[in-house]
Amino acid sequence: MDFGFSEENEAFRAGIKAFIAENVSPAIIQEMQDGAHGAGIGPLTRDLILKIGERGWIGMSWPKEYGGREADIIDQYIFEEELARARVPLNLGNFIEQAPAIMKAGTEAQKKYFLPRLVRGEVTFALGYSEPSGGTDLASLKTRAVEDDDGYVINGQKVFTTRAESSSHIYLMARTDPDAPKHQGISIFLVPMDTPGITVRPLWTLPGGRTNEVFLEDVRVSKDTMLGQKNGGWNIGASALNLGRAGARRYCIYVSPFEDLLKYLQTDELGRDIAKDPVTQDKVAELYCEAQVARLFTMRSLSMVRRGQNPPYEISSEKIWGPEFQVRTTEAASQILGAYHQLWDGDGAPDGGNFPRQYVNAMVSTFGHGSTQVMRTAIARRGLDLPRD
Amino acid sequence: MDVLLNEDEEMIRDGVRRFFQAECGVPRVRAIEDDEARTDLDLWRQLAELGWLGLALPAAYGGGEAPFTQLTLLFEEAGRALAPVPLHPHMVAALTLAAAVERGDCGPLAETVISGACMGESLLTWAWDERLPNIGPEVVTLNAIADGNGWRLNGTKQMVEAFEIADYCLVAVRTDASQTAAGGITLLLVEPGAEGISSTTQRTLGGDHQSEVQFDNVYVGGDALVGRVDDGWDLARPMLERAMVLNCAMIVGATRRAAERAFDYAKERIAFGHPIGSFQAIQHTCADMITWVDGAELLTREAAWHIAQGMDAALAAAAAKSFANERCQMVLREANQIHGGYAQVYEYDQQLWYRRAAAWTMRLGTSTEHRRTVARALELQ
Repeated sequence: MDFGFSEENEAFRAGIKAFIAENVSPAIIQEMQDGAHGAGIGPLTRDLILKIGERGWIGMSWPKEYGGREADIIDQYIFEEELARARVPLNLGNFIEQAPAIMKAGTEAQKKYFLPRLVRGEVTFALGYSEPSGGTDLASLKTRAVEDDDGYVINGQKVFTTRAESSSHIYLMARTDPDAPKHQGISIFLVPMDTPGITVRPLWTLPGGRTNEVFLEDVRVSKDTMLGQKNGGWNIGASALNLGRAGARRYCIYVSPFEDLLKYLQTDELGRDIAKDPVTQDKVAELYCEAQVARLFTMRSLSMVRRGQNPPYEISSEKIWGPEFQVRTTEAASQILGAYHQLWDGDGAPDGGNFPRQYVNAMVSTFGHGSTQVMRTAIARRGLDLPRD
Repeated sequence: MDVLLNEDEEMIRDGVRRFFQAECGVPRVRAIEDDEARTDLDLWRQLAELGWLGLALPAAYGGGEAPFTQLTLLFEEAGRALAPVPLHPHMVAALTLAAAVERGDCGPLAETVISGACMGESLLTWAWDERLPNIGPEVVTLNAIADGNGWRLNGTKQMVEAFEIADYCLVAVRTDASQTAAGGITLLLVEPGAEGISSTTQRTLGGDHQSEVQFDNVYVGGDALVGRVDDGWDLARPMLERAMVLNCAMIVGATRRAAERAFDYAKERIAFGHPIGSFQAIQHTCADMITWVDGAELLTREAAWHIAQGMDAALAAAAAKSFANERCQMVLREANQIHGGYAQVYEYDQQLWYRRAAAWTMRLGTSTEHRRTVARALELQ
């Protein structure tokens, strides 16, 4: 067991910190926040992504032939951790979330086209999984793709399709065999968002950000948009989703409300007065311990993936503990800061109104990428081998 | 960075687990509760012969000089097996003597005692607890007045493990009564049979061997000194941190076994025509149990790693202990709930893991106290 980072790791970390100090201005962060609130990716953000891409920090652990530099995934962890600590609201992980599936199941042509473009940020995917009739029970999806001589014609509707308005492609799950058992008739398509027949409608969320509904009406795609085998999409999709649940960035999101609360209590004049209460101190100390568990679960998943293991339940534990901790933190913060915790902006709002935003953000964490109840069932069945019936 | 076990660590864990599986079955675990010594001395001798007692002690005294992380794995396994031996007090005292000797702060007595401790010839224990249920320096009030080149001790120690069968007891005393915190504490190596010492066995939830020990004008010579006079906190603080982490390891090991027993039971027990483990209410409980015990294990191992690296472990140990105390009790509670009525039955084995692991969470400071340490480290106080 080794809980420390090597000198090389620390040197890499120092490089990332220096890059952030030099290249991330408050103006860029503001632009990114506006971007998340519907303005799209602005020019300053674009420029920053390009700089990060030039340094080989997107998809850095990938094989060289697909545009990566075969770096240790610990570097990826450090990179994400530093970006999150500097509160840079840029999710580069989202840019490349589908890459492992393309590497695993894609044709040579698909790999050559998509992977380098993903690394450079030229191609971005929105995730076309959830539908109005089912998100958690994903395999019951109803969107249909019917084959004809030229390709497929897709009809249906997706929901919670975040970044659909700004992505170049949608990573789309659709049913290609309605008569097969529900997990066996699904295929994945990599569809350009400008394909005729795709309409995007915004759904505005409590934290202020945007997600979408996507309507697919007679969307005609060529056969080479299919990823992997026809009717074999379920397993490809599931593996991409599992990888999407791990990573430093997620744990950093889970613990960020705690870090913000702690900093406020340590450094703000009012915060320091509030923190004099020993009951408050006890609560904050308890949250500190729980935050360490969130960090350690991420380190464990990373250690397992790095050894080439496929964690049977550990990533699900991470995905239960982290978001529920995040919610416990924000609820505790609300009772520590009291009425101040509601203030959304203005001079009197602690930390510029950050706390109520963290409060509603936390809620989203417990169902994004799969609800915590589904995770618990997965742990029981896959990790503990408990029976189905 | 790789938080999983390396090859050496896996070897230690597997070796110790095989030993306990072969030698330390439930009858042996149960037997000590009806036995006056409340300790399995045969098992103790076996551990000594295999070299486990000296695992992390200096090679110069016959030890294996293994890092503290490996010792922690030994304790996880001892906890898992509910090994009815005083491994914890013995190792806490021996490691503290070793630390003092390494600093050149000890006389020849300590060196002899460490050698004996490695080989199992001397059984060691330690006495810290007094009136308050805390673990901080303020609890130490046992009065020691200089007398010639030694001291006269007066006062009472609580919850001293294996005292009557120990050869030496490392006792924390107050040599400077004008101080009430970290200053003025001294560590002395006392023989339990010394004149003026009397002890009363305490019955405990875990059914193990603890005693209240009274010191009535007990003379202790100058060669008993471990570390420096009035400056014992310097040794005691790392001693307490090691004690906390090893205690956490035992809690985690036993709690994991209690949880596994519940998972197995959930697969076998049929209700309403189905194994109860197929019900989501049970499945989700089990998912939480494994998540919580894993969390406690990772915190414990990280704290052990801090100690092995020679880093400050105060915060990590306090985090591990406060978390393990509370979360492992929650796991034990849920494991009992899955067993239903059988959890309360004496002849049914689940209660052994429940009682002992729960009792261990009550030792070495409360969760509130450890969270005070955390709050101090976070500069909230």
